Amino acid sequence: MNVQPSLRPNENVWLWLLKVLSGGLVLILLAVHFLVNHYLAPEGLLSHAEVVQYYQNPIVPIMEGIFLLVVLTHALTGMRGIIMDLNPNQSVMKIIDLLLIIVGVVAFFYGIYLIFAIVGYGRGA
Amino acid sequence: MQTKTERNLFVKILQWFDPRSRQIGTWAFILNRITALGLTLYLFLHLIILGNLAQGPDAYDAFINFAKNPIVILGELLVVVGGIIHGLNGIRIGLTSFGIGNAYQKNLFIGLMVIALIISVVFAVRMLTA
Repeated sequence: MNVQPSLRPNENVWLWLLKVLSGGLVLILLAVHFLVNHYLAPEGLLSHAEVVQYYQNPIVPIMEGIFLLVVLTHALTGMRGIIMDLNPNQSVMKIIDLLLIIVGVVAFFYGIYLIFAIVGYGRGA
Repeated sequence: MQTKTERNLFVKILQWFDPRSRQIGTWAFILNRITALGLTLYLFLHLIILGNLAQGPDAYDAFINFAKNPIVILGELLVVVGGIIHGLNGIRIGLTSFGIGNAYQKNLFIGLMVIALIISVVFAVRMLTA
C-alpha cells in the first residue's frame, strides 16, 4: 500500500497540496454545514420560509459561501486527478484545465447569486 | 491511430473494474475514486436543485415535498455513505501525504472503514425509519 506522493506527468505539486488542504477544510466545514442545517435549524430547513429566515444571520451566508469555494476547489482538483489516471497528453490537459476553471468559476458565482437571492427574500425583495 | 487511442482508453477504464490480484491499497484507491465521482455529481445536483430557492416558496416547497419520496431518501443515504467513506479515507491520505503513519496505513484504512460502516448503519437506521 504505497501512496507516497510521486508526481505524475501532468501533476502539479501546488494543486496536489491544494487538494489535500482543501480536503481537510471540507471535512470541518461539511460537519458544520451538515449539523447546523439539519440539527440547529428547528425544522431542518424544509421550507422556503425557514431557509430565508435562517440566512438572515450573516454568519450563515458567509460560511456557506466559503464552504462552496472550498468544496469546489477540492472537487475540481480531485476530478483533475481522476482525469490524469487516463494519461491525457499535455494539449488535452490544457483544455481540461480550462474547462475545470470555467466550471468552478461559474458554479461559484451561481452559488453567490443564490445566497444573495435567498437573503433578499427576507428583506422584502 | 484514433481508434487505437480510443481502444486504449476503453481498456484503461475497464481495468478500473478488474478485481484480480488487487491489494488493499488498490481497493482504497478505487473506493476513493468512485465516491469522489458520486460526490461531485451530487454537489452539482445539489447546487442546481437549490436554484429552486431563488424561484420562490412554491418551487422550493414543492421540491421538498417530492424529496420525501423513499427513492430520493435512498439516494441521499448513498451520498451520506459515500461522504463518510471518502472523508475518513481522506484522513488517511492526508496523514500519509505528510509522511504520518505510512507504516500502519493498512490497519488505519481497515479501522477507518469499520468506523465508516458503523456510522453508515446509524444513518441508514435513522433515515429509513424516520
